[in-house]
Amino acid sequence: MRLVDSARKCRFIGGNEVSKLLARRSVVQLGSAGLLGLGLGGRLSTPALAAATKPYKIALSNSYIGNKWRLEMENVFKAALQMEPFKSDVKGTWFNSGNSVSTQSQQLSNLIAQEVDAIIIDAASPTGLNGILHQAVSRGIVVIAFDNLVTAPGVLSVNVSQFDLGKTLAAWLAKQMNGTGNVIMVTGVAGTQVDLDRNKGADSVWAQYPNIKVVNRYTGMWDSSTAERNTAAVLPSLPKIDGIWCQGGTDGVLKAFISAGRTPLPPTAGECENGFRKFMIGYQGQKIKGISIGSPPFMSVVSLELARRILAGQYPKKSIDLPLAIVTDETVKVGETVFPDQPDSFFDDFTDSGPNAIVKLCIEAALSGTPCPGTLNVNLPAA
Amino acid sequence: MPKLSSRPPCVIELPPEPRAVSDNRRPRWVHRLAQEAGLFLAATMLGIAVILYCVVFLIAQRHLPGGFELTSTVNSTLPLVLAAVAQTLVVLTRGIDLSVGGVIDLTNGLAAITLDGSAWGHAGQPGTGSIGTMILGSLLVLAVGGVCGLINGLLVTLGRLQPILVTLATLSIFQGIAIRVLPQPGGAVPQGYTNLLANPNWPTSVLWLVALAVMWWMFRRTRFGVGVYAIGNDAAGAAAIGVPVASVRILAYVLGGVCSGAAGLFLAATATAGDATAGNTYTLTSIVAAVLGGVSLFGGRGSGIGAIFGAFVSSMIVNILFFAHIDPLYQSFYEGVFLIAAVVLVGGIGHLLRRRY
Amino acid sequence: MAELDGVQAEPAIEGRGLSRSYGGVHALNDASMSAVAGEVHALVGENGAGKSTLIKILGGRTRADTGTVSVGGREVKFAGPDAAHRLGVWTVFQELTLLPWMSVAENLMIGREPRSRLGLIDRRGMERRAEDTLAALGAEHIDPLALVEDIPLSQRQTVEIVRAISYEPDILFLDEPTSSLVEREVVWLFGQIRRLRDRGTALVFTSHRWNEIRDIADRITVFRSGRNVGTFKELPEDDAVTLMTGRRLEALYPQRPPPPPAVPALALKSYNARGVRDVSLELRKGEILGLGGLAGHGHRELFFSLFGAEKMIAGTVEVGGKAVRIRNPREAMRHGIALVPEDRKTEGLLLAMSVRDNATLAVLRRLARFSILRHVRERQLAQGLIDRLRVRTPGLSNPVGALSGGNQQKVLLGRWLLAEPNIFLLYDVTRGVDVATKHEIYELIMRLAKEGRAIMLYSSDAEELAHLSHRVLVMREGRIAAELSGAELDAEIIVSAAVRDRIAT
Repeated sequence: MRLVDSARKCRFIGGNEVSKLLARRSVVQLGSAGLLGLGLGGRLSTPALAAATKPYKIALSNSYIGNKWRLEMENVFKAALQMEPFKSDVKGTWFNSGNSVSTQSQQLSNLIAQEVDAIIIDAASPTGLNGILHQAVSRGIVVIAFDNLVTAPGVLSVNVSQFDLGKTLAAWLAKQMNGTGNVIMVTGVAGTQVDLDRNKGADSVWAQYPNIKVVNRYTGMWDSSTAERNTAAVLPSLPKIDGIWCQGGTDGVLKAFISAGRTPLPPTAGECENGFRKFMIGYQGQKIKGISIGSPPFMSVVSLELARRILAGQYPKKSIDLPLAIVTDETVKVGETVFPDQPDSFFDDFTDSGPNAIVKLCIEAALSGTPCPGTLNVNLPAA
Repeated sequence: MPKLSSRPPCVIELPPEPRAVSDNRRPRWVHRLAQEAGLFLAATMLGIAVILYCVVFLIAQRHLPGGFELTSTVNSTLPLVLAAVAQTLVVLTRGIDLSVGGVIDLTNGLAAITLDGSAWGHAGQPGTGSIGTMILGSLLVLAVGGVCGLINGLLVTLGRLQPILVTLATLSIFQGIAIRVLPQPGGAVPQGYTNLLANPNWPTSVLWLVALAVMWWMFRRTRFGVGVYAIGNDAAGAAAIGVPVASVRILAYVLGGVCSGAAGLFLAATATAGDATAGNTYTLTSIVAAVLGGVSLFGGRGSGIGAIFGAFVSSMIVNILFFAHIDPLYQSFYEGVFLIAAVVLVGGIGHLLRRRY
Repeated sequence: MAELDGVQAEPAIEGRGLSRSYGGVHALNDASMSAVAGEVHALVGENGAGKSTLIKILGGRTRADTGTVSVGGREVKFAGPDAAHRLGVWTVFQELTLLPWMSVAENLMIGREPRSRLGLIDRRGMERRAEDTLAALGAEHIDPLALVEDIPLSQRQTVEIVRAISYEPDILFLDEPTSSLVEREVVWLFGQIRRLRDRGTALVFTSHRWNEIRDIADRITVFRSGRNVGTFKELPEDDAVTLMTGRRLEALYPQRPPPPPAVPALALKSYNARGVRDVSLELRKGEILGLGGLAGHGHRELFFSLFGAEKMIAGTVEVGGKAVRIRNPREAMRHGIALVPEDRKTEGLLLAMSVRDNATLAVLRRLARFSILRHVRERQLAQGLIDRLRVRTPGLSNPVGALSGGNQQKVLLGRWLLAEPNIFLLYDVTRGVDVATKHEIYELIMRLAKEGRAIMLYSSDAEELAHLSHRVLVMREGRIAAELSGAELDAEIIVSAAVRDRIAT
């Protein structure tokens, strides 16, 4: 290894000498010659894969960090790293790149350069990173995508089925409405796979109910204030609404209804914002019938566990579809699936609940990344 | 000649100035430095950034960056490089192009469905286009970029509208068309195409980079290139000496659009697929790269080569922060600090240089 | 005074019945003029009389609303300067058209750069050709590689002239070409003008300096209020002034007050700034102290550093007998020092703001105390000023940028009058100002001196210095080279003192 290193160093310096020779030429030539020298001197072949040894180097590459969901996702990841078994098995790091594909791509190549064992990724683009992810996979790095998935071959995924999610929400709503009435659909960020899949899931249900009419379909951008604003804008032109189907920002939609005096609120199928679930237990003088399903922030921890198990040779290299964690106005429980003293924008499913919970985390982990007492057991579905 | 006043002529004949004037002329390089101060500072800044990167890399990894690092850095920076050059072309005319991101969205989406011929029902597997479809697809993508630029240029020049308003509007329009072209991320770029443009294992992208720099060098030595600079210096002055201001300005936008189109192509090539929203961030980062590269937002000063350096400086900043283990939450903060420091440096040192000489 | 009638020769260029208005204001109103090959034709008139507009129309830069232009007897419509160039019509506009961040060579050769075999511009070749052009036209002191931004104003003007001349034009317009030239360059320019005239070029130029017109013009056309009022072969200055202003003007230079007693207002000892070396001088209350010398010999730096706009390096400054330090313009104002620069567009006025705002800018703090009354008071102050200085403006709230040059200068002067400083630093305040306004400014200076205010005056016009000053200090290479007073106060003596070293060698 050392031999290789010094050779690399020599060639690197060689490149610089080339540039010195060319120093009297124009800056362009100098710059490119230097880069070229650097390039030719470097290692260009794929190194032989080394078996991973503990502690495993696992990195979380996150894109956008500007909303509560991502913060919780990253916080539970940080908390998990400080809990056993991860504390002794894993040396974890995390990076945010914002929504810039090129920044995330650069960070990924830096991770490859760092020779990490596994990369967990919430991607800025489903396709934009394929080139670099392909390189990571071909170097034997375990790459697991969650939330915003990628299409690169060889990349594993941890996710809930967004199609099923949209479909389940719609099916519940159709049942509440007895198969007839007016529905509004508040969609997500256009151009993303999640948005498309959830809408497709819903549309597959509406197709079976000819008496359900989707009277309006507009984006809420998965953001409560945007959803509230857009809802307030379209509401006056809408007839009586018998059901709300919402991908995100559900509490905002309900607040717009209240402001417009459209009460009592219709049955609502939405994401797992704390504000939405508060309405299920009674909030702002309203109590609603509702169903709440989301992509849980703890997917980062599930991905971490999947990476750890694969690296330890205890689990096959395969993707995981998490079962939907469904909460309705009948099953909602204070302190477990709704938190009245947390803000409306808080995501309640930082932890799974119930007897078959995949993972159980304390609220401190989600709020500040502090570890919970005890060890952290993640129950991956049987291989 | 009127001979009327009793007052003596005030202007008296003087002997000619001694001819030894050339002695106190400054050497050629001083003038070059004054004219291209931004470029030289950007080069210096890039040098410092590369050294800093090597140092933090060496500390973190116990060896110097090698071929993989070079190749992946150039591959992932090339779209930004092209976007920065596109931005520079417009900024030099004292404009600004906010639609760069939209054009990249559109062309990137288009590339994903044309390079393998799937847009016109090519029979083969997705992602296995022939040489013909690749060439045709590339030309189409570049042409679409040029048309986007033409729209901007016509609106700015003939509509006499402010570039910032025009391109803000066209940004949204191009983004909208992009989503129509490629409603969901996907498509496939033939492997051969990726290998040609942004080969992960061999620095082909470095060759493209050199080609781009050479093209800029040539551009600067055309009447059109001089015209672009002249407009940015003083459009009225340029018109007074016969520069065809309107057509040069339109052409600058067109060429900028073509460069943005090329950025879309390279983005598709590195990603091996298309995403009609992946270009959005390039609007801002292209401006940042141009500014880091010493291009004056007031027009008329700067160089595309400087913008290339600027693009690499901004990607070096990302790398340096990465290997320096800066808490990711503070990354954008530090990026901002670096940017301000760099801009102050360019401005401040440039100012000092001019005063010294 | 002999007015011409009839046509003696076929005009090389002719404008007939030209009108042009900007936003309802007639800049040119049914004006006509023509120039014949081989003559130097001077256009004179007050600022805003329409000379520049006429030149812009004949040079292809703007179009007339009505009227015709013909070149060589054929009517033409210029689509732009380019079209004029093709017919051999070149113009040196009053506001420079050089590209500031490009080299002199690029500016000279733009549009006709030599190409290499690849069809690309050969930059070295271009620089060589620029050097040859400069040398051939006697401007070899200008470095073709220098950025325009980095060379002094006078050299920029020279480059602009060289560029036009190098095309060997058939018709050449020069709009105030001498306003930013130093004496030596004026001589050079006149040499070039004569050369071109002798080879048959029709030259049209404007100037406010009567001695220049007298020296070089073959014919003189007088403009007033956007119209030509007469063309003459010979025209005495006094008659010209009457024609230009529409009223008779007594002597251009008013009587200066008697020399004041030696009460010092400002004293410098071994004063140093960038380009200013070891200057010691005393300025008395009520005195007009002239500073003469060639441009670029430290006057500007002396004035600007005294006002705190540039750094002072060493020495002492005493105001009213007390040593002071002036680090910025605010401190200068506190010590009662005011600076009126020559380049009002970039250094003095906020062009987009109103006449009122510009006039009262220096005293806003004082006005602010009146709180509610401020606006009323501001209006009164500004109006009083406008009346006193006879500023020609449609109204107080019009932007100052829309006024003519002389009126802008008056607003700037007026601003300082409101602040009532004791020491005025006047830096070439009459440059580019028409004769009537000049006269008003001279009278104002005299009045200020009579009130006991101390005035330090720099002018590029030696005649002006000679007539206005009690004493004149001549600066050379940043030092005071001579002190002139009494009978030595003569333009010729001032100029020769400024260049004595050169003449000696």
